[in-house]
Amino acid sequence: MSQHTEDHMFDEMLDGSGPDGSGPDGSGPDGREPYRSLLAWLDDQDFRKLSKQSLQAEELFRRIGITFNVYGGRDGEERIIPFDLIPRIIAGNEWRRLERGIVQRVAAINAFLADIYHRQEIIRAGIVPSALVHGNRAFMPQMCGFTPPGNVYTHVVGVDIVRTGPDDFYVLEDNARVPSGVSYMIENRATMLQMFPELFASHRVQPVSDYPKQLFRSLAECASSFIDNPNIAVLTPGIYNSAYYEHSFLADEMGVDLLQGSDLEVRGGRVIIRTTEGTAPVDVIYRRIDDEFLDPLSFNPDSVLGTPGLFDAYRSGAVMLANAPGAGIADDKAIYSYMPEIIEFYMGEKPLLDNIPTWRCSEPDNLAYVLAHLCELVVKEVHGSGGYGMLVGPAASKRELAAFSRKLKANPANYVAQPTLSLSTVPILTRSGLAPRHVDLRPFVLVSPEGIKVTQGGLTRVALKKGSLVVNSSQGGGTKDTWVLEA
Amino acid sequence: MLGRHADNLFWMARYLERAENSARQIQSAFLHTLTQRADGNEEWVAIIRSTGKTEAFAGRHESVSMANAIDYLLRDKSNEDSVISLLANARQNARSVRTALTQEVWQSLNESWMTGNTALKRPVNIRDLPSILENIIKGSSVFRGALYGTMLHNDIFNFLRLGTFIERADNTARIIGARYQRLLPTAAGALGGSDQSQWEIMLRSLAAWRSYNWLNRGHLDPSGVASFLIFDDRMPRSLSFCYREICTNLADLETEYGRTHESGRRARLIKQQLEDGRKKDIHRIGLRDFINGFIVDNNNLSLTIAADFNLAP
Repeated sequence: MSQHTEDHMFDEMLDGSGPDGSGPDGSGPDGREPYRSLLAWLDDQDFRKLSKQSLQAEELFRRIGITFNVYGGRDGEERIIPFDLIPRIIAGNEWRRLERGIVQRVAAINAFLADIYHRQEIIRAGIVPSALVHGNRAFMPQMCGFTPPGNVYTHVVGVDIVRTGPDDFYVLEDNARVPSGVSYMIENRATMLQMFPELFASHRVQPVSDYPKQLFRSLAECASSFIDNPNIAVLTPGIYNSAYYEHSFLADEMGVDLLQGSDLEVRGGRVIIRTTEGTAPVDVIYRRIDDEFLDPLSFNPDSVLGTPGLFDAYRSGAVMLANAPGAGIADDKAIYSYMPEIIEFYMGEKPLLDNIPTWRCSEPDNLAYVLAHLCELVVKEVHGSGGYGMLVGPAASKRELAAFSRKLKANPANYVAQPTLSLSTVPILTRSGLAPRHVDLRPFVLVSPEGIKVTQGGLTRVALKKGSLVVNSSQGGGTKDTWVLEA
Repeated sequence: MLGRHADNLFWMARYLERAENSARQIQSAFLHTLTQRADGNEEWVAIIRSTGKTEAFAGRHESVSMANAIDYLLRDKSNEDSVISLLANARQNARSVRTALTQEVWQSLNESWMTGNTALKRPVNIRDLPSILENIIKGSSVFRGALYGTMLHNDIFNFLRLGTFIERADNTARIIGARYQRLLPTAAGALGGSDQSQWEIMLRSLAAWRSYNWLNRGHLDPSGVASFLIFDDRMPRSLSFCYREICTNLADLETEYGRTHESGRRARLIKQQLEDGRKKDIHRIGLRDFINGFIVDNNNLSLTIAADFNLAP
């Protein structure tokens, strides 16, 4: 765990630059190494002008239509995710360490999925309890015995990482279903390039703009076991989905069709779309809809979003789905607590990236501990996402704590708890100058039989409210451009 | 191309064209109301009639006044043909086909919607009306410019243009239909002062006042106006012009897809009827039946296009 005391937070830009001008990790009065040249640049900036540019960036986002819909918002209201101009910088050597850890973890996740849907060695070995898998909503018995093309389950993964000190990185969660945010990674960079070209002349920043092309290639490599030059399409729930902009952005950048479930039809075992010239086949579907909405015949009979017969076509090898249905069993928050053992089991080595210690409330001892320490812990729903339904103990009122402990007791298996980490901070631009705010990082990982590739960058989410640890865009979070430096 | 995408493009263009036409009609009626001492409500009644909304309007307002009519036509969300609804629908369709549009085309549309939404948030102050209408029309021009200047001239372009001209032909025909009586010459063959202004309104709402005057050296005559609006294929809002464009775009699709369609055959037939009509005396073709027949044919062509190219789900 972090060496830092409760009230000390690690600032990635300034930390260690004490009054005597020296710091523990080579940082000095001019800030930590990767930020030195940025700090020098900031010294020369007129902050009022920067604030104005910040507004211009927002205006640009609105015009381009980089918006997201808030569920439950007033008549389908669209918002933009606030964008902060100060980049988050990761040194080349820091990144390489992260990258090795991520690749190892994602390889283990795919091995775990292949095992869970075939021989289940890990259950037989007594490492992961059978009930946790078979009683899990994300487990999909329909996938048992089926091997997806290229033996890849998670074609796209987002690994959420937090930092608490110069060398302390933790995986907060894995997103193995339909991770989103990659369009922000690319658009944030495009915006920075447009506004501050001089910064890119003075920093060697790894590019991120080729992600869509890499995604295309990676999907085609996975499908190469059954087809060359596949017809790839992106499948979206539609324009009211919160990530619709991203779906259209990716389809556009890859140069492929953006489809809805009702556009697809299964005819004679093949998946087709109705076109202005008749019909056309679809071979690979990068689906951005949840498992249960894929096919009403196989999963959710009430779904109006799906395509009847799609899953049978998938199982018969007529079409590839990315990510594979049932991949969610690997990013479940209860399974998460077993990740260190899962990595050791399949990779035969210690995890390179740490997990956050996690109490599974389904176990009575753990539950007792969690209830006794509720005000210090973060408690999450096992199946929750987007920061909904979670309790941040230190920030909660007595009343909220009491209400949450009732929920916990009523359904303990639905929750896991973790210590409240003092997440690292990176300054944001506020009206009164720079101010530190907590951040996390979501790098994006592409998996194909040719290898596992981590895009050198990622989405930095930042809690804009002072002191807040919740970075989700639906809960008042913003984003930053994330620079991975060459050196 | 995905059939649904073609449908989105076709209707996106129709909605935008309809919004522009609506703004032009309001513009010309507004000018008329301000410059005529006579009761101006008649004009607003005529506009509401030409959009087929007489009953729906009566459900929202007790009587027709300039303020009521402007509010209903511009910003009433319960009216699916109000400018604000049309811009929202056009943008929604554009979002569905983002991948088929260039950044510039999408942005022009998104900005029209943003500007329109802000301007129409509150009831319109008469003083702001001219600039609001101008902005709506300008938005449409920018969209058209971006379309011509940045899009591939392929099937995507063809479906957009088909939507535009089917809608425009419908609009021109309805404007003529709502006022056809005034297009009939009086027994004396001359026009009274009040009628004169009627011509002006009609020509202005089709952006054709200046061009008509230029072509006719200021001489207004009913048969002249009627055949100008229907048959003159130099005038971008005449029925003949619209059908020349419709036939061209359908012919492009035939070339691109390598086969003929029922819609192409029908469009050529309608174009032929317009060419035949041109040769006849306008008084003898039966203007009312001609226009009503045209509106029905034009609408049927729209349905045939949808069937030929898998537009509807």
